Amino acid sequence: MAGYILRRVGIAIVLIWVLSVITFAIYLKVPADPAGFIVDIQHSSPAQIAQAHHILGTDRPAVVQYAKYMERLLHGDFGVSWPTVAFFNGQVHGASVGRMVWKALLVTGSLALGGFVLLLLVAVPVGTFAATRPRSLFDRLSLGLSVAAISTHPLVVGLLLQLFVGNKWKLLPASGYCTVSAPSKAELTNWKLFAPGGSPKPCGGVGEWAWHLLLPWLTFALFFVALYMRIVRARMLEVLEEPWVRTARAKGASEFRVIRAHALRNAIAPIVTMSAMDAGMAIGVAMYIETVFGLPGLGRTLIRALAGFQGYDLPVILAVTMVAAAVIILLNLVADLLLLAIDPTVARQGRGMMRRATTS
Amino acid sequence: MGSEEQLDAPRPQGQWALAWRRFKRDRVAVGCGIFLLVLVFAVGPGAPLYERIVGHGPNDFFPYAVSVSLRPAGPLTVTWNTPVMSGDNPFVFKHPDPPKGTGKTFLLLGADSALGRDEFLRVLYGGRVSLEIAAGAALLAILIGLLLGSIAGFYGGWTDAVISRFTDLVMAFPLLLFLVLIGSLFAHGLTDWTFHGLINQGVFQLILIIGAFTWFYPARIVRAQIMSLRHKEFVEAAQMVGARDSRIVRTHLLPHVLPPLLAYGTLLVATNIMIEVGVTFLGAGIKLPTASWGSLLAQTWGSVLNPNAYNPATVQPWLTLVPSLAIFATVFSLNQFGEGLREATDPRSVR
Repeated sequence: MAGYILRRVGIAIVLIWVLSVITFAIYLKVPADPAGFIVDIQHSSPAQIAQAHHILGTDRPAVVQYAKYMERLLHGDFGVSWPTVAFFNGQVHGASVGRMVWKALLVTGSLALGGFVLLLLVAVPVGTFAATRPRSLFDRLSLGLSVAAISTHPLVVGLLLQLFVGNKWKLLPASGYCTVSAPSKAELTNWKLFAPGGSPKPCGGVGEWAWHLLLPWLTFALFFVALYMRIVRARMLEVLEEPWVRTARAKGASEFRVIRAHALRNAIAPIVTMSAMDAGMAIGVAMYIETVFGLPGLGRTLIRALAGFQGYDLPVILAVTMVAAAVIILLNLVADLLLLAIDPTVARQGRGMMRRATTS
Repeated sequence: MGSEEQLDAPRPQGQWALAWRRFKRDRVAVGCGIFLLVLVFAVGPGAPLYERIVGHGPNDFFPYAVSVSLRPAGPLTVTWNTPVMSGDNPFVFKHPDPPKGTGKTFLLLGADSALGRDEFLRVLYGGRVSLEIAAGAALLAILIGLLLGSIAGFYGGWTDAVISRFTDLVMAFPLLLFLVLIGSLFAHGLTDWTFHGLINQGVFQLILIIGAFTWFYPARIVRAQIMSLRHKEFVEAAQMVGARDSRIVRTHLLPHVLPPLLAYGTLLVATNIMIEVGVTFLGAGIKLPTASWGSLLAQTWGSVLNPNAYNPATVQPWLTLVPSLAIFATVFSLNQFGEGLREATDPRSVR
């Protein structure tokens, strides 16, 4: 068991390392001069540009740059975001990429987690109900709707929800993110004193957080609910054929109790672990949703780092790709271990079969 | 004389005839297939034909099709056929009259944005771009998958190991994140490959990128299929007769692999459309002014770096609905058509 975990963690570290090398190599091929982050390239002398490269550390050979980056990374330092770099007192200052990515991770996490809970709240009852009445009108209707939902782009859902529910009918906030913790007093005073025209009031607190995330959660859930409803239904149909369900019925348990306590429990457990395998797709879908609803999550951070006016913000790009991969690998590892704990017989061979073709 | 006539011995039906007979029974799949045929004709020869009929292109501006408050005109609009607005007084509540002798032109679905381009033509041409990318990338993925998958399945060994590990790597990674990363980092290289105007700018680049990251599943399907047939008697018989490996794969194994691959390819086209829309929306795909379904969807919303603030006076919800519907109908049809193909070509199917 310990050897198995160690091997998995080892593979994960190698994967993340390969990923960082690939990202770095791609970046080196890009014809953009990072000196533009510090000086105006067209109006400065070669010496000034060289100085800017020295501050960013891009004057060294690629291998040294990479080694330096890795060395700092091992100390938990992701570096500073290039567009925010300032140089004074002989030191480089700037926004810490580590903190940036951590904040973004929290946003993406609250989006994905809330969306996941919402989707389970819909998929499990609907799937179960459909499975108890196969071929009924409800069953066929829910299957038909799930076929339609699978063919709907999350961007389409997000844009339409934002346009109609958020903007046109003003039922829910159309964009923006509020932190879980309430804004501090200092933030509020700062906003009152120095807010430039039109800058929104700092918001926060659990209520506002959930209120602002309702539409994103809905979009997230609508995309995945079709997949999960089908899995719940299929699993439920399988489980209802099992002998222990027959036994439960034979001993006189009510149908509700049979479903809830005997069948559902066995049908759901593998589904929760399987969901970890959708983490990659979830981050992709979250990227669409963050973009549409203006949530400062991982995907949006990456896009802003890629689409900046001066050039590509390499430290942020590297950090986001590596953190995203690490999260996905970690979730997969946890899922594997959970599966191993639940059912030791399927853990070794069954896993590859249980994956679905996930491509978005 | 009729009584003496011999009945022909019933000929065994071929694999494809059987599949076609099964496929015909699936009403939904047949309907979707017809829709897809119509779509291909509409975006292929139909788009230039419609352009000829109305007499303007997808990138022509019609400022008169935009109201004074910058709200694009709705469907079935007849507007002045001129790319410039006469008069330069901004303090007007009504467009000035166009110069004398200006003709009229017809916009079936209205104007696309504050620039006043023909939305219907842009949907047609955008569909062409999106379908080119989706089909091209699927074809590329299938070809690579067929080649590497059959090598891996037939010989095993290191190709097998590489393909399996690669698949694991890609499965463990958010594909979209990587596509956007590569799409924007390589935005300078391959964009201008248009093969003498055959395809639009950026199409070839997206085909390569999407194809390069989606061949793992086809490779897996081919590999699994060939591995399961590798030691069957008919393969051994062919080997005994002295057939070369390439011949065995081509004539004996490929016919078994092709049907599921064809069905998977159709589903892959559907996912590729979704990917193209997403990547273009996120600013790493097709660049304006070329229309694609992704850029049409983004038109009203704005761009990633500066989304448009919502203004009820200028926003035309219609313009989000049209590309949404186009994308949904196409992806839905491709999915249903692919499902129908899969069912029809599956030898274990009961239908």
